[in-house]
Amino acid sequence: MTRYVMVADLRRCVGCQTCTAACKHTNATPPGVQWRKVLDVEYGDYPEVHRVFMPVGCMHCADPPCMHVCPSTATGQRADGIVTIDYDLCIGCAYCAVACPYQARYKVERRTDAYGEGRATAQEDAGFDERRLGVAQKCTFCADRIDAGTARGLTPGVDPEASPACVNACIANALQFGDLEDPQSNVSRLLAENRHFRMHEQLGTEPGFYYLWGN
Amino acid sequence: MAEPAVQSRKVPTYCYQCVNGPDMLTVEVVDGVATRVEPNFAGKGCHPADGKVCVKPYGLIQKLYNPNRILKPMKRTNPKKGRDEDPGWVEISWEEALDTVGAKMRAVREAGLMDENGNPKFAFSTGGAGTPICYMGAFPALFAAWGPVDLSLGAGGTVKCYHAEHMYGEQWHRAFTVLPDTPLCNYIVAFGNNIDASGGVTSVRRQADARVRGLKRVQIEPHLSVTGASASEWVPIKPKTDSAFLFAMIHVLLHEHAENELDVPFLKQRTAAPYLVAPNGYYLRDPATRKPLLWDLESSAAVPFDTPGCDPALSGTFSASGVEDGADGQSWEHAAVSVKPAHQLLLERSAEQTPEWAAGITDVPAATIRRVADTYLKEAQVGATTVVSGREMPLRPVAVMLGKSVNNGWGSYECVWARTVLQTLVGALEVPGGLLGSTTLVVGPEYDRMASCVPGPDGFMDHPFHPTDKEHWKAQPEVRHGHSTLIPATGNGLYAQPLGSTSIAWMRLQGRGAETWPKVKPPEIWFVYRCNPLISFSETSRMGETIAQFPFQVSFVYTMDETSHFADILLPDCTDLEGTQLLRLGGTHYFEQMWDTEGWILRQPIVAPQGDARDFSWIATELAGRAGMLEEFNNMVNFGVCGIPLKTEAYDFALDPAQPHSTEAIWDAVCKAASFDVTGGKSAEGLDWYKEHGFRLRPFPHLNWYLHPRMEDQGLRYELPYQERLMRIGHQLEHRLHESNIHWWDQQVAEYEPFPVWKDLNKLWGDAYERNFKVKIDDYPFWLLTARSMQYAWGGNVGIQLMREVAENVAGHSGIMLNAGTAQRLGIAEGDTIRVTSPVGTTEGRAFPRQGCRPDVIVMVGQFGHWKTPYAKEFKMPSLNDLVPMTMDLVDGTGSSVDAVRVSIERVGGAA
Repeated sequence: MTRYVMVADLRRCVGCQTCTAACKHTNATPPGVQWRKVLDVEYGDYPEVHRVFMPVGCMHCADPPCMHVCPSTATGQRADGIVTIDYDLCIGCAYCAVACPYQARYKVERRTDAYGEGRATAQEDAGFDERRLGVAQKCTFCADRIDAGTARGLTPGVDPEASPACVNACIANALQFGDLEDPQSNVSRLLAENRHFRMHEQLGTEPGFYYLWGN
Repeated sequence: MAEPAVQSRKVPTYCYQCVNGPDMLTVEVVDGVATRVEPNFAGKGCHPADGKVCVKPYGLIQKLYNPNRILKPMKRTNPKKGRDEDPGWVEISWEEALDTVGAKMRAVREAGLMDENGNPKFAFSTGGAGTPICYMGAFPALFAAWGPVDLSLGAGGTVKCYHAEHMYGEQWHRAFTVLPDTPLCNYIVAFGNNIDASGGVTSVRRQADARVRGLKRVQIEPHLSVTGASASEWVPIKPKTDSAFLFAMIHVLLHEHAENELDVPFLKQRTAAPYLVAPNGYYLRDPATRKPLLWDLESSAAVPFDTPGCDPALSGTFSASGVEDGADGQSWEHAAVSVKPAHQLLLERSAEQTPEWAAGITDVPAATIRRVADTYLKEAQVGATTVVSGREMPLRPVAVMLGKSVNNGWGSYECVWARTVLQTLVGALEVPGGLLGSTTLVVGPEYDRMASCVPGPDGFMDHPFHPTDKEHWKAQPEVRHGHSTLIPATGNGLYAQPLGSTSIAWMRLQGRGAETWPKVKPPEIWFVYRCNPLISFSETSRMGETIAQFPFQVSFVYTMDETSHFADILLPDCTDLEGTQLLRLGGTHYFEQMWDTEGWILRQPIVAPQGDARDFSWIATELAGRAGMLEEFNNMVNFGVCGIPLKTEAYDFALDPAQPHSTEAIWDAVCKAASFDVTGGKSAEGLDWYKEHGFRLRPFPHLNWYLHPRMEDQGLRYELPYQERLMRIGHQLEHRLHESNIHWWDQQVAEYEPFPVWKDLNKLWGDAYERNFKVKIDDYPFWLLTARSMQYAWGGNVGIQLMREVAENVAGHSGIMLNAGTAQRLGIAEGDTIRVTSPVGTTEGRAFPRQGCRPDVIVMVGQFGHWKTPYAKEFKMPSLNDLVPMTMDLVDGTGSSVDAVRVSIERVGGAA
């Protein structure tokens, strides 16, 4: 079996948003839609205060609330753990967006472009996908890249052509991706060697997104 | 019917939007449209960050297709210039544009290149610490062929740079910028050094790797920066008091630890610590050789510093004879005079500068300062060694790093000096694990730091100071800021003019400052590229009035902007993804760009240029022809201005000087020469090879990361701690200036101290405000600071929506950061509009309360305040720059000032 997960090393992340931008390029998301982004978080009170950068997005939960509330079975889950949205089945009710504890889902009703109506760039024209209007959308773990890569015998998380764009782009090597079921994978090794947590773990959603914070 | 197959390809190119470039990337082109940026995965293993690029180049595709681009040359039809004047832009042909500019250039050449004040009639301003040159193709050959060009009208440099580090760093250890040897370093003491936002991909990657390995960093800064987030500890120091903390660290090392805990062999052999200082403050010298003397403990006698087998004393007072050489040939002969090693003087001058003393200044507990100093000493592992490429060297894994605002203006000399002295005390300068220099722009050549390390006077490295003796001092300024007259340490290299004091150039154009010199005339021709001084300099509103007086301004543009609003001609050049240029790659370069490879990388058109945008090499060739200097221009290309000579004894790819050459022909020749260089003459592939492969590398010796072997092999010493040479230069400069009836530089000349004297900068600022603006400093109770925006800095990308969108995820990109407790005290809620006022300006913005900010500090990230740049003018983001006063009282001895400003704040409106 395979269970793809993301690992974000909070010791490494500098909040630069390179992953955010790379995701927007690769997935051609419209302005304001960020399947991947990095939160800038403060905790504590002056002067005992800390600042931490946390990459977030769809957590590809093992037990995804978004899927359970979906009335049209548009949200599904692959055998490898990736939570999917079938745009053809989605009726745009947005129950999933409300149910997601990670605010990872977006819904866009009409086309918007960076520089306003009627001023779309050639890049935006090339990336525009009408099927995404009026439906839920979110991070796919770049499933299309994974599938195309694995079909060529490549390994997700190791070979760039089989890995999510955010992982490839991360300049701090904070984002890692791989198969949790493979004890030799980079993510398995990182989780074995470091302290880690998952966001809102108490909700029992079993996120496929781990945060490292020390060893 | 089957759909036609999608044509997709990935094109390699480079990003050089900041000093950390060039870095590698690829752009995917689908059916002729640039769709996405990716790392260049071919860089894995040979690029320190495996071929990755930071967030900025992801904006380049939007830059390429930005609907706000200017895609045809334009001319102004309204001769009146001003912020509120409509320039009356009219599209014109390239032919007309080039004829107009070329005719101006020809006329100036025929009439003489210098105006009646002796300043160049032709001026060029750019930004990004000169990095725009990496997008100008062969254009620099036009400047080189022209002759004197005034580069002193800066767009932010010397206010927004690491000026003291540039000047003193190069003299002391060939360090235009410094870095920790991060892969080996264990402990960094960082004073506002925002490396994660300013150091590019290589710095981010190396620092992240080191943190996971166990590197600890103490971040000492008034607001918790992006880089502070990843620190082991944040110490919120009071602004402009860093030197007191640093001086106290010196005190702890010297007075609270035994001498043998320091790196005594390093101090004795690699520094001037044992040099004997005579009664007038100059070194005691051997009368015959004029060599500085030190006290040999073996023979109990004063001997020349290079006497083999001697054991120099570091402390004590001795009686010795010799001569002392002062300023302007003054000399004293001493017989049995009392002298002390420089280290002894350091001991004495640091005796009172205890952590308790510093605590009262810095608002940092003495125990914290003491703990940081103690940890620094312990982590230095004095005595440890390691082997690099077969050579045994000291291992000293500690570094003290300084941020931009610590490195500029008054106090920066103290900070850079104290930091470098701290490195020498534990032997952690230019050795594995310690503090290293990277590039050499003052001494040069930029790409070969080792070659710049040659013997100079007194056992130190040479440094190209401008002369200050009576016969050779340049009494007549060569350009508008007079760097060669006022600031000897700028040298004469390619970077001399962007150093010095660009504030002086602008103040002189405004008829203030340098009052004994005539008011300067504006340049007759002003070229502006990739900079926007009306946003990025100081007192920006006033600067508009100054620029409006310039008779002929040519702006190379991709969209309209505030400075271009005053132009006479707009020329749309190719953007990053449209032009062609080959650059050197790798080696050691700027901040943490330390590679184990070096070579060349190509920028190439990813798609055809949009509209009528043209490549800079083509523009340069066309202008050269019209200005009547084509042959001189081609000669400069052949000479090597494009990065490498096109003809040597080993090869000949030179272009015919008499003919114009296409962009492709120029760069094909450069590529061939570069191939010859990087392969040691084994091949000479041209442009097509680089278009396909992107870059070509060869190994770079890891040993060349460190100056130590070269210093040791040549028996050289670092010119620390005592600044005898600077003191002499300062006295001579003072004499020359006073002989010329110049007294307005006295404050600055006084800074040529052998040991920098601690200054109360908060008082200095208060006095300067009260003197210049007739205000009470207590009415401006906050320090307004700025912080680097990685997403925007130097990219000229403020009009790019993608950058705006992703930058807003980082605190401070939507408003003014201030301490949450302060906000509460003043009744300011998040999103409220607050007005910020300094004696020279007022701005407004949305309040963004944070815990990670001192109560007496507010922070404006990046540089905004746009009123013309499309898209950016809608931001409603405030500008710090307009509030920063330009006054000679705030210009330091090296000519730099700093963009920190005392302000008041008030709530003027609720959240929108």
